[in-house]
Amino acid sequence: MKRFVAAALLACLAVGAFAQAPVVAALKGKKVEITIWTHEDPNRTALEKRLIDEFVKANPGVKVNYVTYPSGKIKDIVVAGFAANAGPDIFNLEIFDGYQFISNGRVAQVDYAAAGYRNAKDLESKYLAGMLEPVIEKGKVYGLPLELTNWALFINKKIMRDAGIDPDKDWPRTWEDIMSQSERIVRREGQIITRRGFDFRYPYYLTSVMPMVEQLGGELVSKDGKAVVTNDAAWLKVLNYFKDFGPNGRNLGSPTYAAARKLFDNDKNEIAMSLSGLYQEARMRDANKAFYESGEWMVVPYPQWKDAAKKVPNNYYGHYYMVNAQKPKLSQQASWALLGWMLRHGEEYLEKVAIVQPTKALMESATFKAMPYSDVFAKDLAAAHIVYYGEASSKIESLLKEAFESVMLSGTDPAKALDKLRKDVRAALED
Amino acid sequence: MGARRRVPGLERERARWGWRFVAPGIVFFSIFSFYPMLNAFWTSFFNKKLLSLKSPDFVGLANYVRVLGSPEFWNSARATGVFTLGVFIPLFSLSLLFAALITGLRRGRRLVQAALYSPAVLSSVVAALIWLLMLDPRGLANQFANFLAGTPGVDRKWLADARMVQISTMIVYVWKYLGYFTILFVTGMGKIPESVYEAAMIDGAGPFRRFFSVTLPLLRPTTVMVTVMIVIQCMKTFSTQYLFTQSGAPSAPINVITLNIYNTAMRDLNIGRASVMSTLLFMLMLGLTYVQLRFSRRGEDDL
Repeated sequence: MKRFVAAALLACLAVGAFAQAPVVAALKGKKVEITIWTHEDPNRTALEKRLIDEFVKANPGVKVNYVTYPSGKIKDIVVAGFAANAGPDIFNLEIFDGYQFISNGRVAQVDYAAAGYRNAKDLESKYLAGMLEPVIEKGKVYGLPLELTNWALFINKKIMRDAGIDPDKDWPRTWEDIMSQSERIVRREGQIITRRGFDFRYPYYLTSVMPMVEQLGGELVSKDGKAVVTNDAAWLKVLNYFKDFGPNGRNLGSPTYAAARKLFDNDKNEIAMSLSGLYQEARMRDANKAFYESGEWMVVPYPQWKDAAKKVPNNYYGHYYMVNAQKPKLSQQASWALLGWMLRHGEEYLEKVAIVQPTKALMESATFKAMPYSDVFAKDLAAAHIVYYGEASSKIESLLKEAFESVMLSGTDPAKALDKLRKDVRAALED
Repeated sequence: MGARRRVPGLERERARWGWRFVAPGIVFFSIFSFYPMLNAFWTSFFNKKLLSLKSPDFVGLANYVRVLGSPEFWNSARATGVFTLGVFIPLFSLSLLFAALITGLRRGRRLVQAALYSPAVLSSVVAALIWLLMLDPRGLANQFANFLAGTPGVDRKWLADARMVQISTMIVYVWKYLGYFTILFVTGMGKIPESVYEAAMIDGAGPFRRFFSVTLPLLRPTTVMVTVMIVIQCMKTFSTQYLFTQSGAPSAPINVITLNIYNTAMRDLNIGRASVMSTLLFMLMLGLTYVQLRFSRRGEDDL
């Protein structure tokens, strides 16, 4: 039996090692040029360029132009490209930006056969439940996940111990813990903070602040879609938390300080706790290997309120690869075949780029389980829901930013900010 | 008779060459400025969405009614007005002051001009990024302000406070364009004949009297040009406000009209309403320029 298992494993490895890009019959003897626009990520670029080279070798008539843009710019570039009817063949955006492309008919339905699936059911069966939901319209799938990310709390153990907190025993479980521990950790020169306990991921309010409201029973849009910004008590509690946390309250952090996530990897006694995704581990490994290997950091679940009505982890969000519906059918077919080939390498994406493609195979893989604290992310992910997305999601994100930061920075009364937010969200949805 | 016939022919030929020389400029302007302006004006009457494949519906003045009834637009108008005024006064007076000082220098004039002008060669994005670092709570601006005021450890909240963030955007703009407008004034002052100053000196005019009674009145064409240019530049300001809001600064206090146009078009994808705001901004700039030019011509007649 052991011999049989060993032989089977060897066979699987051999298949993996010698896996070749698919030869697409429809592309034989034809010239097709595909343009990909994606956001910058050096590790991913290296991997994808290699996979593209392999695909092109198997399909010599295909030429691929792989173009990267800064994360902060890509949405504008893709929007401008499509507005001029000159978008790329393949692109990826965060779902709350990308959804508008689907709803406006700009995205082609997945060509299941070209991408390597029998049909929609076969494709869906390969992914964790609900992970394709944002790209499904009337039963048709319009995108393939490049990465789905949820955030948990990264903790620098040294700083916690320095502030007299035992991180292994007393790690923060609630938002009340976050506030009290931040007060113990914070250091200032006068009013200027030189060491923060925790700070939020500004301005990702839909992703990371909405769960705080939902834990208390509040909603952005009610389930029946008739009411917006529901349960004032929940919203006011979170708004007041921000007011208390900010420079005009206990002065523990602010959106104008350097982003907590970026400082965390440096391990320079600047930030003790930061919200981030599994991808942060690869960035930490690249930026500060000594800290990565020191065992002086840990990851714990997204905090909950002490009096939470329900458990809501950080929302997950995702980048989906999509194909331009305005391109000729043959280009679309080639694009889906290429994407199917690229995304078949989920474990490599995880190992080299630390991004998670939410396939069942990857979540069960030894590679995923070997990533430090992947179980924390997996458990939170299982209980989480996707970030709000819709026609007006980008506008709503900016309205949330305005409401929370006007309370936090400009001293606006939370009740007034909430009234304005409700009015503005309603208007945005009516538009 | 023959000479009379030849002159119009020569003029026609000259005119033809004139047209040939300006034609590339006219074509370039028509394609890249005039057509987009007309297109924006036309689009402002449609409910056009950037990503929609459906043909947009004609909505008449509905977009104008909606924009003019929106508190967000009036907040943008306020932000633009405050920024324009807040930049115009220091930028105009400091440029004039530095120009007067530079003109009076006997040595090192070029060096001072180059030093003052250097920020102008930076792109607005780079300038804003440099200032983002300086305006950080632990940055140079806070340290300098606290050193001057003798208040160590005070966080001036350059980017966090609603008032301070407006002042911060003004500081960046004045710093960036001070050298540029100073050089325009220096050039204007250089055109004033030396003999006028000599006559004033013979009449016993001191330096202040010469500046206010000779330099300023004779500098009027430059003053008008600088005024128009500063006002138009300020109304078109975008990069500083955009980068500051991207870096965590509150958006409402510095949500100038151009930033609102950008967000309406690129974030909300509502190109119809963005076109309305562009048209209104254009009309406002055109109106202000016309008023300033009329005012300056009336002034010239009084001279």
